[in-house]
Amino acid sequence: MTSTIEQLESDLVADEAVRPDLPWQTIVWDDPVNLMTYVTYVFRSYFGYPREEAERLMLQVHHEGRAVVASGNREAMERHVHAMHGYGLQATVSKAEP
Amino acid sequence: MIVAGREGGADGVRIVLETEEAMLLSELADQVDSVLLLGGDDDPALGRLFPSAYPDDREAAHDFTRYTRDNLVDGKRQAAQSVRDATATERDAGLVEIELDQAQAWGWLTFLTDLRLILAERVGVTDPDEAEPADDERDDYLRAAYEWAGIVQGSMLEVLDPIGR
Repeated sequence: MTSTIEQLESDLVADEAVRPDLPWQTIVWDDPVNLMTYVTYVFRSYFGYPREEAERLMLQVHHEGRAVVASGNREAMERHVHAMHGYGLQATVSKAEP
Repeated sequence: MIVAGREGGADGVRIVLETEEAMLLSELADQVDSVLLLGGDDDPALGRLFPSAYPDDREAAHDFTRYTRDNLVDGKRQAAQSVRDATATERDAGLVEIELDQAQAWGWLTFLTDLRLILAERVGVTDPDEAEPADDERDDYLRAAYEWAGIVQGSMLEVLDPIGR
């Protein structure tokens, strides 16, 4: 049994290594400073989200402490996080949960 | 302070400040510029301005900082300097009227955000529902500036992004 599990794990690791397109995420975290209207406006302006979606994400950040605001390849997520830091939002790059 | 739409419905915002308000904002913008120029890595306010992109991966975080920090500092300093220059005035000079197009307004919005992040760190704002009594006059001043900057930003957003548009 043990060797089977190890084999499975090494297969998973190998899969990750040969899949550079594995989705990454841009996560925005709640902070006690930024105005809700500002966060919504950033989501609308930068990502181009319709107001309803921008507000839904903003409220998710506010109530749940974080929200995934974009998914894609790692370079694109780093560009988004770079932009979010420019706007003064607390944002991180994260690998999507499998 | 008056924040309104621009003449003829042009994009952007018009801001009218009392002399004292303009002088205060100019002084605060100059201080933000100084923090960005001189702040060491041990300044916790900079942790709020430049959070880690990879809290669980020190190496990736380091690389991200290496590739982005200069650009972020430049952008934030330019925003602070543009606010400082637009609000430069002298005592008894009267009202200060400022016209901002959309791009300039974004500079103000991001500056006001950076200012509030720094002030929040200085006065220890960690939870908006938990307003602690200020310890001394300096904290009173900083807290008032923090609240006021939020009012300016909120007023700008009401014009730039009216509900229902």
